[in-house]
Amino acid sequence: MQADAQGRRFLLELFGFLPVIIFAGVLVYISFNAPNFVTLRNLELIVMQSLPVVLVCAGLAAVVMAGGDDVVSGGIDLSIPATAVLSAGITAQMLSLGYPLLFCAAAALAASTVVGVLNALLVTRIQMTPLLTTLAMFVAVVGANNVVTASRRINVDHPWIIALRAQDVGGVPLGIVVVALVVAAAFFLLHQTRWGLNLQAAGGSRDAAEISGLNVNRFIDQSFLLAAFTGFICGFFILARGSGSSPGVQDNLMLEMVLATFLGAAFSPRRVVTMWGAVLGALLVAAISIGFKSMGVNLFWTGLIKGSLIVLVVAFSAISQRAR
Amino acid sequence: MSSIQKAIVAGVIATFAAPALADGHLSLEGKTIGVAVVGTQHFWDREAFNGATSTVEELGGTVVPVDGGRDNQVHADNHDILLNNGVDAVISILGDGAVEPKFEALQEAGIPVFTVDHPSPFAINNTTSDNYYMGTTIGRYMADAIGGEGKVAVFNAFEGALRICGIRTGLWKYVLQDYPNIEIIQPELAEEFANAPENARIQTLDLLSQYPEGELDAIHVGCWDQPAIGVVQALEETGRTDVLVTALDGGPDTLEIMAEDGSPFVANVAQQPNVIGSTSAMNVARHFAGEELLPQTYVDVVPVNGQAEAIAAYEQLGYGSLE
Repeated sequence: MQADAQGRRFLLELFGFLPVIIFAGVLVYISFNAPNFVTLRNLELIVMQSLPVVLVCAGLAAVVMAGGDDVVSGGIDLSIPATAVLSAGITAQMLSLGYPLLFCAAAALAASTVVGVLNALLVTRIQMTPLLTTLAMFVAVVGANNVVTASRRINVDHPWIIALRAQDVGGVPLGIVVVALVVAAAFFLLHQTRWGLNLQAAGGSRDAAEISGLNVNRFIDQSFLLAAFTGFICGFFILARGSGSSPGVQDNLMLEMVLATFLGAAFSPRRVVTMWGAVLGALLVAAISIGFKSMGVNLFWTGLIKGSLIVLVVAFSAISQRAR
Repeated sequence: MSSIQKAIVAGVIATFAAPALADGHLSLEGKTIGVAVVGTQHFWDREAFNGATSTVEELGGTVVPVDGGRDNQVHADNHDILLNNGVDAVISILGDGAVEPKFEALQEAGIPVFTVDHPSPFAINNTTSDNYYMGTTIGRYMADAIGGEGKVAVFNAFEGALRICGIRTGLWKYVLQDYPNIEIIQPELAEEFANAPENARIQTLDLLSQYPEGELDAIHVGCWDQPAIGVVQALEETGRTDVLVTALDGGPDTLEIMAEDGSPFVANVAQQPNVIGSTSAMNVARHFAGEELLPQTYVDVVPVNGQAEAIAAYEQLGYGSLE
């Protein structure tokens, strides 16, 4: 009997490691089949392409940590990519009208903050479900951006913004340095400070946190503001990589944000959303996408392969979590 | 369809039906060609992509395909992957200004760029339809269809963002300068790139409630035809037979709508996306064969005025039969 239980536990542990094993296996396969995949330049490409996703993932991770990781009733903020696009749209439009960059950024920050405050008010004061609230907010904010930009592409050539893409600092692209600093700051805030630990406690068990005297709603409010802030920063990276704002960026960004953040949870030892897990998830999704593309995989198959892989990983993670 | 138009169609088909045979000396043997397309959901994009990839393969080359999923930014980023992959040349289909820095990087790395429907200073050659003819022809057809006077709404999201759209819509407006009694409703409408038919349907419903029967004569889509599908849907839903529709591209889906009895969709100019993609691939081979290419290669278009011509063009462009 005991041997049986042990065998079962071993099997479940193995299931827990399967996501890592599957991803490692796919990456090894790609590296043998895609030209120049295991090069420093490709690594840089993967990191550069995932910067906007990494930023919004950091914001989403904060909201999930504060609100709990139940996808339906817990913390989630789907509006971050829309905030990012709005931040980009406002900045691009105002730059094209001749305003100085700092002034444009201040306006974008103000608009992003409004989104964060509205999310917080609707979720904690009116007690709407975060999933529906932020999905509706996504639609509304994209609509606001369509008004701002008239749904048109706006070119941006401001040297400070282009520098995020093109400038190197000691051999490392400036964009990577900036995002690394933002993520490190968010990590420090959420994982190293008393505030962050309280926020995690609030998300871990709302009842327990309230009994021990924490104001849970305050942490949820603050997490929505932090998320809106990451969206604000992300806007500048959207502008940098495409030399302007093109309509429609938000949809793919939202999909990748959700995938990467919850995929990241599959890699964490306790199967919970963490800052590093989210960042790692974003990088892995980018690596696999780029890998398949470099291998010349038939276009009409890539979506199916990528989607199946992610379902597989998350399913194994769920099995091993349920068994605990 | 007039006999002149029939002759044009016949000539176009004869010229491009077997491009590989016409240029038998060309080869892409041993070459890897990256083909970046902005999306594969729409007929035009998919056909241009299929034309390019099948011709590269027929000429002995290997294709590395990348798809932007109708997201201009993803499309632009895909060029980085082709650059890193070390392909011998890139064929880039559509895309807005976001691709320019990527083309520049490819050029710096010594990888020649060939564009489809996207003139760029960093490209060796751009293969495209005769956009000038498209713009003026649809202007004349639309003006004639509404009797030279009335109010017209235009979907025009891309005039400033894509040069080809600047040409098409700009020349449409140029023709309308000679029709002082045609008024373009302001502000112009802006369609979505990714979900165009549904988005245009909703915007048209709003427009129709704003402009009741008798106050709107036509809706024109300035650069392509996908939004027109939604426009026609909205007209049918509301029973507004007073409003006519015109657009460009003439894919099989919109030619089918034009071919229906009593269709409000009255004029179009059909392109040959497969021939365009294929011609671009031929141009890559010509470049490697040492031939000097002109900056632009124009592929002929087929004007479609009314139901009968739609039925004829559908068959002549090889989409099947509507009779």
